Amino acid sequence: MLNTYAVIGLYALVALTFPFIVLLFARLVRPSKPNPLKNSTYECGMETIGDTWVQFRAQYYLFALVFVVFDVEVVFLYPWAVAYGKLGLFALVEMALFIGLLAVALVYAWRKGILEWQ
Amino acid sequence: MAQAQSAVATESLPYNDVIPGAVVGRDGEALIVNREKLLELARYLRDHEGYDYLSSVTGVDNLTHPKRQGVERFEVVYHLYSTKRGGGPLVLKARAPEDDPEIPSVVSIWPGADFQEREIWDLFGVRFPGHPNLRRILLWEGFNGHPMRKDWKEAYYEEEHKPYSSRWPYGHYPREEYKYPWQEERAVYKDNLVFPKGFDPDRWQAPEVEYRLGQDIYRELEKLKTDRIIVNIGPQHPSTHGVFRMVVALEGETILGLEPEVGYLHRNHEKIGERNTYLMNIPYTDRLDYINSMSNNLGYVLAVEKLMGKVEVPERAKYLRIIMAELTRVLNHMFAIGFLLNDLGAFFTPALYALEERELILDLFEAASGSRMMCNYMRPGGVAYDVSEEWVAQAKKLVFERLPRAVDELDYYLTENEILLARTKGVGYLSPEDAIAYSTSGPVLRGSGVPYDIRKVEPYCIYDRFDFDIVTEDGGDVYARYMVRIREARESLKILRQALKDLPGGPVIGKKKYTFRIPPGEAYQRIEAPKGELGFYLVSDGTANPYRYHVRSPSFINLTALGPMCVGHKVADSVGILGSIDIVLGEVDR
Amino acid sequence: MDVLKPQIGDWWHALLQGAGLSSGWIVFLDALVITLILLGLGLTSVLFAVWLERKLAARVQDRLGPNRVGPYGLVQTVADALKLLTKEDITPDNAERLSYNLAPGLAVFAVLMLLLVIPFGPGLIGADINVGVLYLVAMGSVGIMAILMAGWSSNNKYALLGGFRAVAQLLSYEIPMILAMSVPVLFAGTMSMEKLVEQQAHGRWFGVVMPAAFFLYFLAALAENERTPFDLLEADSEIVAGYHIEYSGMKFAWFFLAFFLNTLILSAIATTLFLGGWRGPFVEQVPALGIFYFLAKSFVLVFAFMWIRATFPRLRIDQMMAFAWKVMVPTGLVLVLVAAVFVKLPVAPLVRDVLLFLVNVFILLVVAGLVGRHLRLQIKRLSEGAAVVS
Repeated sequence: MLNTYAVIGLYALVALTFPFIVLLFARLVRPSKPNPLKNSTYECGMETIGDTWVQFRAQYYLFALVFVVFDVEVVFLYPWAVAYGKLGLFALVEMALFIGLLAVALVYAWRKGILEWQ
Repeated sequence: MAQAQSAVATESLPYNDVIPGAVVGRDGEALIVNREKLLELARYLRDHEGYDYLSSVTGVDNLTHPKRQGVERFEVVYHLYSTKRGGGPLVLKARAPEDDPEIPSVVSIWPGADFQEREIWDLFGVRFPGHPNLRRILLWEGFNGHPMRKDWKEAYYEEEHKPYSSRWPYGHYPREEYKYPWQEERAVYKDNLVFPKGFDPDRWQAPEVEYRLGQDIYRELEKLKTDRIIVNIGPQHPSTHGVFRMVVALEGETILGLEPEVGYLHRNHEKIGERNTYLMNIPYTDRLDYINSMSNNLGYVLAVEKLMGKVEVPERAKYLRIIMAELTRVLNHMFAIGFLLNDLGAFFTPALYALEERELILDLFEAASGSRMMCNYMRPGGVAYDVSEEWVAQAKKLVFERLPRAVDELDYYLTENEILLARTKGVGYLSPEDAIAYSTSGPVLRGSGVPYDIRKVEPYCIYDRFDFDIVTEDGGDVYARYMVRIREARESLKILRQALKDLPGGPVIGKKKYTFRIPPGEAYQRIEAPKGELGFYLVSDGTANPYRYHVRSPSFINLTALGPMCVGHKVADSVGILGSIDIVLGEVDR
Repeated sequence: MDVLKPQIGDWWHALLQGAGLSSGWIVFLDALVITLILLGLGLTSVLFAVWLERKLAARVQDRLGPNRVGPYGLVQTVADALKLLTKEDITPDNAERLSYNLAPGLAVFAVLMLLLVIPFGPGLIGADINVGVLYLVAMGSVGIMAILMAGWSSNNKYALLGGFRAVAQLLSYEIPMILAMSVPVLFAGTMSMEKLVEQQAHGRWFGVVMPAAFFLYFLAALAENERTPFDLLEADSEIVAGYHIEYSGMKFAWFFLAFFLNTLILSAIATTLFLGGWRGPFVEQVPALGIFYFLAKSFVLVFAFMWIRATFPRLRIDQMMAFAWKVMVPTGLVLVLVAAVFVKLPVAPLVRDVLLFLVNVFILLVVAGLVGRHLRLQIKRLSEGAAVVS
């Protein structure tokens, strides 16, 4: 067990640093001749009109919110699923209720029009 | 003076009984209209005479025309057609003097005049009061002067007409800029470049683009307080089919307004054309719609023939013209469908399937004309070269066996595909009324359910000998335009089968001529090019060079409808709608 | 079940102990070897996958594909990687530098981490942790964060649109994916990837018993991997390249690598969870066959991914979101419930499996029918009413 987590730790460390080490190495071999035109924002060859970081449409965030709710709840399924074989019929009823609640939430969001992309 | 002349005969001129003083004279077939009454007459013609389709608006500068001395300098020519009745045009001319070049805008009556009037303002400097958005369209604000005026001279100007004496008949004389090698270095961006008065290039900023916002959709979206962003799609964009730019105002991903910006490939084709002799222009027309050089050739040659009066075209050449034009149509439609799918996000597969058939057709073109894309094949009075027996055999093999199967294959794989249906049905809707009002043509017009095909309503060449149908679809959306293309390719194959079967023998051109003496006059010839109505307007002053040479290009005018079609859809749809219009930038920017 | 690992492991540990190393060092060296093997495997397989994709697309499109560098163009990708390494790296002036530079590394990190829990063969697994499936879900989300960072920090409107689409799309499709993945967990009663494979003995693959769940997972994986018809975040015909539009050189290469490695890993996960992992005939006798079976199954799925990419056009964002929330999430919920009910059914296992299979096919047909009906109705409505604001 300890070994396993040692592997994960070392692996994570290497996986995290490896891309950056390669980037550093690339820095040594690649040319670097920046100029203002090259460093300008690409927008099909035109100068950008207006600011990019604006109050963007809220639709995306609504989806993100719905996701957070669902994601957290769905992850609760996992411990239940693991232990399901050992539990009695009650676990089934319980989970049916839980999934039913999720379904109700989905139907609510649906009816409220959150799932309609405008 | 012109007014004094025409005042005498006013009584006998048409429409004067309805709108007194509207028509002040005749110029050949054309009616000369008093510009004060133009709008009134135009509205009457549209509402009561059925002239609902404004095919072409263009300008003429009468400055050096020998027959038009004393006439007011600027002339705007309108070619009107009726989609209900079919048949030939009603030609209107409105004239304006040099010191007051203003003619009322007809955009309120025919919205299709939008881009064309902007082009006239850009190239001739004629203003159109009442135009909602009169900006330069092909050139930028820092361009000095209006190049189509006869007294405008380009940099390194040599002579009024080709062939230039410096290069012909000997052709060894160095060009002006090579005579003094240092001159080019010195001249670039300095002496060579002139800006309009009061224009400072360093402080120039791209003009604010005005959006015609779809009001309903905007009100709907205003409930949420978020900022709009403005995105340039193009000119360097994978799916604008060239250097074309759409300025899009977005709310989230919904398009609030879209404004096409063109002119990146502008080379003033028409000015070049007026320097050239009539024959020299043929290879230049190849470069208009470089996918369909054959039909460009055909349109131009027919216009020249119309201007020349009686021209005998040998029977074999007539058939060959049809065969080439229809092969081009098949090629173009398959190409267009393939790349429409690309715009919808397919990974090049449909496009490459279509390209394979295109290569085979190009093989035929190469064998006939010597070039795959820039064919330069048609001539006034016939076609340039005859085709061999093997060519005919090969063409028959292609037309009778391979191409029908290729079209069927595209149809089979694409038409019923759910993703294609979901992406194209109901997208980019254009009602039949709008399609006519915006002067759209070709598959866009017929995709809106308007049965208007020039091959039928005003037959040219020998199209009246063949049995084929006008293809229409009622949808008015991207899908309908797609379906029109599929079905039209089949109709073209039908024509091709008949033409190849009946192809007679004999010569393909009368006596070969290198210069033409063309009587003074003017002609407008339009053909049903694959992308829509391709028109050539020629004015002759009796010399070997056209006095005025105008191309009414289908891609350019179909783009007028792009903005209204896109409003309310998603960004992703805008490229699909553009793909369904099927533009070629060589033709849009000319 | 650890067939291979103990043999090799014993030999290896004996070697190390013979060299007189302490146990701490042995653990460290163990981890190091596993790390290096996995990294090498991951990177080289991506080189192959890129070549495969280009070659396959070429076949579909009736052309040759890369064929200049090396036999069958096999070394083309290596040449491309070297080119990208020596290419100038541009950081736009307006970009938010920290997240702009972090994003590509983070994207690679997220996919590389997934490699760790994939059982390539009997006993061949980087780290067999008892929360394997949960670990996959968690690490998958890190990648989404990298994409959002890239999209936002570039200060480019296309990138921003791509980034926001990423949030909407990847998050939405994660729910059906998690739901589909919970079905095998329910059957096996464990989240350990190793044990999940063990449970699928004798051809009782979860993907065969529950084809609907497998299908759901596959579709969600298509979307999670930004592949056609769900490749909206980098839709080249709309927003040019989406979130990685401003990246060049090696930073772009990292996004590219993450994308292809993700394809491989998602196929590998599907193989493990639904297609019996490394299981196949005679694998008990010849454990090395396991690696072959695993790779074969995975690459069949990779092939399907690429085939679909070369075939279909792309959906629009509203259609795609509607598909996720209105079709896939409800189906996923139903499937979990169905699986739970059938696990408790007091009948023989074989009868239960056959029944489950039939119910799954039924669900698939019903869902497909409903979607088809809805599409037809919508298309009919659109072509009749043409109710478009303009």
